[in-house]
Amino acid sequence: FSNLLINLLYEKRFGPYFIEPVVAGLDENNKPFLSGMDLIGAPVYTDDFVVSGTATANMYGMCETLYKKDMEPEELFETLSQALLASVDRDALSGWGAVVHIVTKDGVISRELKGRQD
Amino acid sequence: MASYLNARSSIQAKNGQTALPIHSSEGDATIPVSFNNAEEHPYNETNHIDHGVTQAPYERAFSPYDFNGGTTLAISGEDYAVVAADTRLSSGYEILSRNVTKLHALTPRCVLGSAGCKTDIDQLRSVLDINMKVYHHNHRKEMSTPSVAQMLGNTLYYKRFFPYYSFNVLAGVDSEGKGAVYSYDAIGSFERTPVTATGSGQSFLIPLMDNVITHKNRNDENRPLPAEEVVEIVKDAFVTAGERDIYTGDQLEIMVIRSSGITKTTFQLKAD
Repeated sequence: FSNLLINLLYEKRFGPYFIEPVVAGLDENNKPFLSGMDLIGAPVYTDDFVVSGTATANMYGMCETLYKKDMEPEELFETLSQALLASVDRDALSGWGAVVHIVTKDGVISRELKGRQD
Repeated sequence: MASYLNARSSIQAKNGQTALPIHSSEGDATIPVSFNNAEEHPYNETNHIDHGVTQAPYERAFSPYDFNGGTTLAISGEDYAVVAADTRLSSGYEILSRNVTKLHALTPRCVLGSAGCKTDIDQLRSVLDINMKVYHHNHRKEMSTPSVAQMLGNTLYYKRFFPYYSFNVLAGVDSEGKGAVYSYDAIGSFERTPVTATGSGQSFLIPLMDNVITHKNRNDENRPLPAEEVVEIVKDAFVTAGERDIYTGDQLEIMVIRSSGITKTTFQLKAD
């Protein structure tokens, strides 16, 4: 799917879709897969974290410090939420709540967070 | 046939082309007309006191400022304040030095950390040191940290219309012995805060400090942190900033300020 997105975005190289997507999920062997892209489809593949949006600098700082390898889904949810909430609270253009999806082999768990409403 | 005077007044200008309308028994016509006297003042070579800039404007680019990089962080505690800064001096994509300090002790109880343009920072420090000596002569006592904070704000605002390109944090202990941290912008607006960070890596550090020190968005117990733990947090934070910010790295200088004095430690960061 990530590859599909890349090609789709580069097709519109001179009139791009103004998005900076991140792709997160599990591959055929149930191994976690992460990728981030810019608006014309240049990908980056990591095994720890990818960020995108107006608060990227804030999020890089949070993720880099709070990330650990091989976290369980519950711990990962906590870490992710803390990183996201702290980053968007310091950004005027982001906020008003958050949605977190945890993708496991048994399904996707989605939760909504309420943060600062300003 | 209308007279010449009449004809002249009935000339129509359409699309920059002036034309004289002619009515005759054969039908109507328009004859294009050009008034050569009007066009006889083009800018010839001798008329260039502006050196051709009005005809072909361009932007002259000399900037009196340079950004020499770096990040500083300051955290206040119950009876101590911690201030830390990296030691890299850069200009553009080049590293000028790996061993230049960004921290400057103004009094034994107050340290100024600055990031930005090194020359402006050095000049600002000279001015502050001189003013503090004058204060000392006049009042026969050392300046307290809140007074230093106010003086720094005023000094920066003096240069409101050609600012010091310097992003400062002030850390120290106030007259009651409690930790005090003040954050500034380049023209002297300041505020006493529990934590602050400034410089190229500030966006990486500030949300982290919000979460870990000020305990935002957390439901677990908020206990006051001892100085040693805060120093460890500062080291982790700078490792992060060093990873993601190209202007931050090399070495980290940490100063812990208490009423008893200042202790300084250094810590190696990645040199890439």
